Amino acid sequence: MALSTATKAASDALGANRAPTSVSPQEVHRWLQSFNWDFAQNRTKYPTKYHMANDTKEQFKLIAKEYARMESVKDERQFGTLLDGLTRLEAGNRVHPRWGETMKVASNFLEVGEYNAIAASAMLWDSASAAEQKNGYLAQVLDEIRHTHQCGFVNYYFSKHYHDPAGHNDARRTRAIGPLWKGMKRVFADGFISGDAVECSVNLQLVGEACFTNPLIVAVTEWASANGDEITPTVFLSIETDELRHMANGYQTVVSIANDPAAQKYLNTDLNNAFWTQQKYFTPVLGMLFEYGSKFKVEPWVKTWNRWVYEDWGGIWIGRLAKYGVNSPPSLRDAKKDAYWAHHDLFLLAYALWPTGFFRLSLPDDEDMEWFEANYPGWDAHYGKILREWKALGCEDPKSGFLPIQWLIQNGHQVYVDRVSQVPFCPTLAKCSGSLRVHEFNGQKHSFSDDWGERMWLSEPERYECQSVFEQYSGRELSDVVVEGHGVRADGKTLIGQPHVAGSNLWTVEDLKRANCVFADPLAGF
Amino acid sequence: MTAKNAYNAGIMKKSGEAFAAEFFAEENQVVHESNTVVLVLMKSDEIDAIVEELIMGEEAKRNPTLVVEDRGGFWWIKADGKIQIDTEKASDLLGKTYSIYDFLVNVSSTIGRAYTLGNTFTITSELMGLDRKLTDA
Repeated sequence: MALSTATKAASDALGANRAPTSVSPQEVHRWLQSFNWDFAQNRTKYPTKYHMANDTKEQFKLIAKEYARMESVKDERQFGTLLDGLTRLEAGNRVHPRWGETMKVASNFLEVGEYNAIAASAMLWDSASAAEQKNGYLAQVLDEIRHTHQCGFVNYYFSKHYHDPAGHNDARRTRAIGPLWKGMKRVFADGFISGDAVECSVNLQLVGEACFTNPLIVAVTEWASANGDEITPTVFLSIETDELRHMANGYQTVVSIANDPAAQKYLNTDLNNAFWTQQKYFTPVLGMLFEYGSKFKVEPWVKTWNRWVYEDWGGIWIGRLAKYGVNSPPSLRDAKKDAYWAHHDLFLLAYALWPTGFFRLSLPDDEDMEWFEANYPGWDAHYGKILREWKALGCEDPKSGFLPIQWLIQNGHQVYVDRVSQVPFCPTLAKCSGSLRVHEFNGQKHSFSDDWGERMWLSEPERYECQSVFEQYSGRELSDVVVEGHGVRADGKTLIGQPHVAGSNLWTVEDLKRANCVFADPLAGF
Repeated sequence: MTAKNAYNAGIMKKSGEAFAAEFFAEENQVVHESNTVVLVLMKSDEIDAIVEELIMGEEAKRNPTLVVEDRGGFWWIKADGKIQIDTEKASDLLGKTYSIYDFLVNVSSTIGRAYTLGNTFTITSELMGLDRKLTDA
């Protein structure tokens, strides 16, 4: 009987490429590569201005069987530990309350990043033309699905086992009113999946993963352990076991375009924009979560940043690529200033706007203040002075009717939101980099806090149109906005956000209404 | 004396004004090329044995710049040039089959170019694929 064309082709290929005689996974990987499709003329829905070479290698030589076995072992260890040992030890309630609140933000926000990374790595799978590179991206798609589940599970676990579940259980319902959400979507969503495919890879893999996952997912576990949290290290260190392959994917993306003339033209700008985009949010938010969201300090955030961002990512990734034309990001100088001061600036504003959050914040106590001044000389006279005044005015007491956001406005400290990063800033109090600048475009006014975001907006203004909470709710009373934005607990009256982490004396909608705080658009005055 | 690759080496030993002075010094406003690599291993029975016997043993002898630090949930390892782990030796040490993919279960982070070849895991400061080709055998 005559063989079909397909069967003959398969038989010929098998004849030319003998099956491995052992079952070594790496030998199987090598063998499988000889059956690749020819992707040299790859057509993609997600084009890039770069030409990606089609001979790029995958550094970890994954095959489906070993990948699945490896990941199932990780899951077995994670869930086994969480559901057996840690539950028996009542680990959820041994966490310091400040840190329990930090994890409401860290895990919920990372979940969004992981979810968007599914789409980002799938997009890169479609864009790449090297078979091995596609294999690496495909495994990343599967990893990101796993990570999304893992982050969801951290909050689910805390919801069941931590004494204050509000915010762990359903943070996303507050996404319209919380000022931190929009900036998070800018770095974790827009930066990963919008625009040129390679530019997205630079954002996601070369900067987001190779640089900021180290403080966000590795260093965070040191802070967690110091503050009694044994859950986060179990899960986050397991998440990070996949990130090294993602960093390799990002690096191989750079390898695939290294010889393309477009790289000479665009790569440094894309890298600088990606670095600034990611650092503008992660630098202040992580610093705030670590230092203000903990009782037991591991080290100053600026040192964590110096180690993982400046010395290691900067020196070992970017510095080593210098001979291939990759430059030190020009925005680094401003980023370093932010690493020192921006998280203190952000805490002032986050605390001032605490009713819009899905987590509880607390003021530094005397011991914390001493630590801040020792590590950030000048902190006390600038930030400590304000925080002490707020405390004296009763900011923690629901009967006081005192809201720090009203104090800021009454004292001439207007709060703006940077249009590009969506990070709030107060030009009259900020010690981080930048200054206020305002542009008008298509009848809308836009505020910016730094040169780098302003430049990005000037080249693509239509890309950054997200409204701030002040524009969105201009003229509306705060308690009405919080109720409408689902910032209330299951009893229908107590707020999810609180200005302290004590278990009693909680603010309610009525307490908030008494303050009569009305949102105003700061850009209306321009 | 603190080893140059230690977690708190160099500027990290300083605090307050002294740290700020070096952090904001003009020469530190650009990145500086580094020939080091960093490996983060999540703690587990297997990894603890590998760190103690293989990494702090023969790998540290081969590469005296190697530093291992206990950071709570993970081992933080830094060295000049490269760090290599042979999982066949790990298999002998652990008394069970232990492949490169078993090792990857607990490799939490790498800074440098990490790759696998046969039974060996390598993290190197070399630019693999640019300075030198990645090979299959």
